[in-house]
Amino acid sequence: MPAATVGPPASKKRKNVKESAVPSSKRRAVAETESVDATAEIQRLEDQISESRKHYNNIATLISMLSTQGSAKPNVPAALALCRVFSRLIAGGNLTESSRAAENEKIIVAWLKERLREYQKELLSIIRESDPSSQITALTLCLCIVNERATHLPGDDGIWLTGLFKNVVEAVVEANNGQAVLSEFISKAKEFEDVRYYTFIQLAQYASVPRSSQTIDTLTTILSACDSIPTPEHEFESFYTKTSKNNKRVVSVKSHKKHAQEAWLAILRNNLSQAQRKHLLRIMVHNIEPWFLRPELLMDFLTDSYNVGGATSLLALSGLFYLIQEKNLDYPQFYPKLYSLLDADLLHSKHRSRFFRLMNTFLASTHLPAALIASFIKRLSRLALNAPPTAIVAIAPFVYNLLKQHPTCAFMLHRPVSDADRAAILAAKGMDDPYDPREPDPIRTRAIDSSLWELETLQSHYHPNVAAIVRILAEQFTKQFYHLEDFLDYTYQGMLQAELGTEDKPFKRVPVVEYQIPRRIFTNRLLEEDGGQDTAPGSLLRELWEFA
Amino acid sequence: MPPSQLKQLKASLRDGGLLGPQQSKKQKQQNARSGVAAQNRIQRNTALQSIRDRFNPFEIKTTSRPKFDVTTRDVSKKTSGQARPGVTKSYGEEKRRQTLLQEMNRRNKVGGILDRRFGEDDPTMTPEERAAERFARQSQKKLRKESMFNLEDDDEEFQLTHKGETLSFGEGFNLDDFQEGDLGAEEEDDDSEFPRKRKRVLEDDDVDLADMTFDDDAGEEQPERKKSKNEVMKEVIAKSKFYKLERQKAKEDDDDLREELDKGLPDLFDLLRGVKAPPKPEPPKDDLATMNPERAALLQGKTPDDTEKEYDQRLKQLTFDKRSAPTDRTKTAEEKAEEEAQRLKTLEEERLRRMRGEELTDSEAEVEEYDEHDEEDGEESDEESVFDDAKAFGLQQPAETSTRPELGVEDEDDFIIDDDLVETRSDVSLSFDEDEDMQSGEGSEVEEDEDEPDDELINGLSIPEFESGDAAAATNGADEVNDGLAFTYPCPGSHEEFIEIIKDVPMQDLPTVVQRIRALHHPRLHSDNKTKLGRFVGILLQHVAYMAEQSDHPPFSVLENTLRHIHSMAKSHPESVCQAYRTHLREIANDRPLNLRPGDLVILTGIATTFPTSDHFHAIATPAHLCIARYLSQGSVNTLTDFATGAYAASLCLQYQSISKRYMPEFVNYSLNILSHLSPRELPDASALGFFPSRSPFASLRLNLASKPIPSRRLRFWDMTDAPEEEEQLKISIITTIVNLLSVASDLWSGKSAYTEIFAPVKEVLAHFIQALETSSTSTKGKNKSSKSPVDPIVLGTFKATLDKIIAQLSQARHSRRPLLLHNHRPLAIKTAIPKFEESFNPDKHYDPDRERAEANRLKAEYKRERKGAMRELRKDANFIAREKLREKKERDAEYERKYKRLVAEVQNEEGREANAYERVKRMRQGKR
Repeated sequence: MPAATVGPPASKKRKNVKESAVPSSKRRAVAETESVDATAEIQRLEDQISESRKHYNNIATLISMLSTQGSAKPNVPAALALCRVFSRLIAGGNLTESSRAAENEKIIVAWLKERLREYQKELLSIIRESDPSSQITALTLCLCIVNERATHLPGDDGIWLTGLFKNVVEAVVEANNGQAVLSEFISKAKEFEDVRYYTFIQLAQYASVPRSSQTIDTLTTILSACDSIPTPEHEFESFYTKTSKNNKRVVSVKSHKKHAQEAWLAILRNNLSQAQRKHLLRIMVHNIEPWFLRPELLMDFLTDSYNVGGATSLLALSGLFYLIQEKNLDYPQFYPKLYSLLDADLLHSKHRSRFFRLMNTFLASTHLPAALIASFIKRLSRLALNAPPTAIVAIAPFVYNLLKQHPTCAFMLHRPVSDADRAAILAAKGMDDPYDPREPDPIRTRAIDSSLWELETLQSHYHPNVAAIVRILAEQFTKQFYHLEDFLDYTYQGMLQAELGTEDKPFKRVPVVEYQIPRRIFTNRLLEEDGGQDTAPGSLLRELWEFA
Repeated sequence: MPPSQLKQLKASLRDGGLLGPQQSKKQKQQNARSGVAAQNRIQRNTALQSIRDRFNPFEIKTTSRPKFDVTTRDVSKKTSGQARPGVTKSYGEEKRRQTLLQEMNRRNKVGGILDRRFGEDDPTMTPEERAAERFARQSQKKLRKESMFNLEDDDEEFQLTHKGETLSFGEGFNLDDFQEGDLGAEEEDDDSEFPRKRKRVLEDDDVDLADMTFDDDAGEEQPERKKSKNEVMKEVIAKSKFYKLERQKAKEDDDDLREELDKGLPDLFDLLRGVKAPPKPEPPKDDLATMNPERAALLQGKTPDDTEKEYDQRLKQLTFDKRSAPTDRTKTAEEKAEEEAQRLKTLEEERLRRMRGEELTDSEAEVEEYDEHDEEDGEESDEESVFDDAKAFGLQQPAETSTRPELGVEDEDDFIIDDDLVETRSDVSLSFDEDEDMQSGEGSEVEEDEDEPDDELINGLSIPEFESGDAAAATNGADEVNDGLAFTYPCPGSHEEFIEIIKDVPMQDLPTVVQRIRALHHPRLHSDNKTKLGRFVGILLQHVAYMAEQSDHPPFSVLENTLRHIHSMAKSHPESVCQAYRTHLREIANDRPLNLRPGDLVILTGIATTFPTSDHFHAIATPAHLCIARYLSQGSVNTLTDFATGAYAASLCLQYQSISKRYMPEFVNYSLNILSHLSPRELPDASALGFFPSRSPFASLRLNLASKPIPSRRLRFWDMTDAPEEEEQLKISIITTIVNLLSVASDLWSGKSAYTEIFAPVKEVLAHFIQALETSSTSTKGKNKSSKSPVDPIVLGTFKATLDKIIAQLSQARHSRRPLLLHNHRPLAIKTAIPKFEESFNPDKHYDPDRERAEANRLKAEYKRERKGAMRELRKDANFIAREKLREKKERDAEYERKYKRLVAEVQNEEGREANAYERVKRMRQGKR
């Protein structure tokens, strides 16, 4: 009973195809009867094959039908029929070579194998070239064949490692406009753990040679999609092929992880573009690191990325910190490097909130030297002077928390001059800011001798809320700490929305209107009455701009 | 052996002074008169009570053992020795018998008659009081007049009205004697029966009445004497007649007096008219009560026409009198100026206070607003407290308290006289009043309404003419252009309608049209006009933005005039104007935050003059600031028009902050960015210059120093939209503007403690920029051998001057720099652990410092007490009920028993008789035999 032995996915697929074939044939029935004939012909050929061996030549006919249909539209029914035929043959053991078999038997087996190879080649080419729906069908058929072979040809482990599956993976990765087939493949890999396992192996092999950046993107997509990292006591249950259950390697979490790690490493070693590197760093903590049995293997990548500077460094921070914390990575330049990240663009970048979160963690220790903390505080307040309000809103509570944790730094807010001589000098000459912004080492910036004039100035920020938040630094430090999370993730749009609301609401208090109607807004109306001197409101604008 | 009980009793009675020699009758009377008797009686009672107590020791409950004297013991409750459980118990029992038992008995029973007559069972009321109260109720009931078809009442009403005036009391008084006599019976007897039964009823009642009173009287004096019925009746009749006579006499006296008073009424009226505010006329009811028919007739003596005429006259007189009364003397010119100056000063102070973020009037409301504001921000509660803290702290801002230059006090005078936008003099003051009102947080409506009738008569009609005349003066050369204009325009309901209206109107005449619409729809002319104009303001604002975006650039005088119109209307319709501005800002924020259009910029400019941008928080200025800042920090910097727009936005920033001098980081960033992008040579790496972030245009826009000199010009508004004709000139103009702005900013922020940090990068960039200009010009000089610098030396001069100024101010800032002293707070007190001792501690008092908690505890204690009491009562009630039921049951059982026994006895009786009869018969039979 060949039909019974066909794997469940295959039978499901066949049903699907039949269902989809029925309406299409109906549709075409009016216009052309040819395709009906073709389908009937294919059906007839298939039936004949299952009837008797002497019709094996039909296989060749079908393959030729499949291939001759050309590039335009692959002959899906033929492919389906062939798949069924081969499934039956494999299940029936017709492709198994037994040493005791007769010569002509051997010839037939060899011939069949040849045909199967041809068929597989056709399918792969369909995956590579054809339209999305055929690609998906071909992929399914391929996997079906893989399944049959793995199930019924014992010892044919190579089908996964070196044989058809390898080619399938390659074809999927390299497929033209293969979005659909890729997502189909990913869903398969996510669903079936053995598929995922072998995919890891294949991808590790595939990525070991330098690939184009587009290919790497695809590989990253596949890998990052497989984000259900097995826990150490995970029981593998969903397999595509039944026999995989008996394979010790497939059911071991360790080997799973090992191969995933290899795949990732292969990608990380590849020549990455800057954007890809950033993307990888972004998914590092959640998607990549958990796969690693030995995360220290990431060290090189992360330190390299951290040394790049700019946003890349920012992104590398969290991974690096993880390694420092968990894996005892020695990175002596961590804080100077972190300090160097505080540059003019930081507060304007979109990673600002992320950076603040991380910095909150890094500087949480109370054992850090006060000079270092002072440098960070001073640097941040310098930056705040050129920062958007959304950043200042975060900086003020952050600085507050730091000052609260390191009371030694509170001198930056309050430094009474007790020495009379010094006071006299101050009164006579004033003073320079002792802080040296160009000093890269945060210990040596002398920031702790400085004062936070910048934040004092920001108390008169144009936005009332920002000014109010900065003013907490001038208040008594009665609050234990501020939840930094509440102050991050503000945007201009959000602030405006908060001010303006989404619709007209009646005012609680009617806004004050200027009590003087100005004589002029744009023009020099009635200027001579004021003696030619324009001092009314808006004079600055009229002076600089010509309104005509 | 102690003496016998009887002897003891006697002895104690004697000791208590209860058994003494009997008083004589005379003495008794004397005592009764002087009140000694009552006192004696009280004394007697107490003595008796104590004696009783002494002889019945089981009545009193005593505590078995003394309690220790601890501080917390309630000393006030020393009554424990006096408790009489027996008395209280019997009292409670008695009370229950009266209430609970009654209820119990009445349970499940329907019907019964309740005596609801007022004061019937009240022994405290004398019959007179009772009667008076009943009469009052009766008359009240009549006055209420419950139903229209109540014939009985109607009857009376009909009689007693005359020309709409009720005269019931005038006639009512004639019937007085009947009614007063009638009182007792009124509840029982129907009024309709009244005439028929009058006589009898009267007699009966009088008898009743007299009986009672006499009984009372007699009761006190000689309780025991009995009178014969005849005697009693006679006495009663005599009494009643006497009373009647007396009453009539009193009434006549009253009437005489009243007539006398009525004669004096005209004088009183005259007096009244002379007084400024007439005292409230007495309520009509009282009037009626005192009015008698004669007076009514007197009043009605004239014909109705005459009265009406006179009434009208007097009314008019009264109104005119009120108006003509002088309120204030006319003020002299100096006084006026003084007042004006004072007003301006208060306004300015108010503004400064707002700038500092203080609230003078209802600060609570503001805090509320702040809270809500925070909630909208989606911030946590701790941040709310931040705001509140900050608010409390925000009062002292030394950097910002610099006073604004006093913008012409005399200016304001001119403004009122010849400003064409303010319709009338009175309106000016009105609107200012409103302004002040608004600031003090009160509704302006009331005052406006009060003022309105005053002006209505005088100039209500003249407003339109006045206005249009004024409008003619407003637009230059209005006479020619006025010709094509209609005099009336409808008030548009939408912007499309407005465009339709002004379709044929030349642009120059738009202000006139607006004037006319405003005049025609002045709120005083129709009540709807206020809302209409409110809508119109919004449309007008839309139209300003719309006009500014037209390709044929409209003259700015028109825009300006329209904006001023809006400003003027903002005083009468602050809500709608503010909403309109906010709507526009919202549009900017949502649709084109990084692509400001000319219309938006015009609106933003309008905001600068219409609203006080110096306020700490302002519902319009704050979002406007944000809009500009957002554009400056994120807007595109790819073309020269972008730069021009940015330069305009930057100018607006400084314009907004010209008074409050708040710091805007975005302005500095943007200016420096423009300078570095327009510089003829690339400046060194931005990070070396300062901490401002740099953004680069797609294509280089560097100043191209050609051989021929480039004159600088003032930037034009339309540089922001139109493609530049002479790019290089535009570039140099933008640079000049930016440098000027930086110079202004340097002045504005020179007081800031971080001036050095802000302007050091500016100095660097400027220095590099000037150097670049000079070197490149020298290089071109060298190349082209031309002697002239391609940059105007004047321009270069201003650059250098600005640089010098900044350098000077930097050194000044260095001189004035001191270490920060932000935390000069009083150190927080360390928490003390010493317990607080209370002098003269009273255990009854509660010393909880937390008022709310103390209150809660008090309530809790009260609740507990009440609960206990209620439970005790309920328990006793239940016991009582059970007892009563048991008693009833026993009674019933006993009854049954009795009945049973009786029946048995009866039966036995009968049986016995029968048995006897049987026996007899038997014996007879036996006897026969």
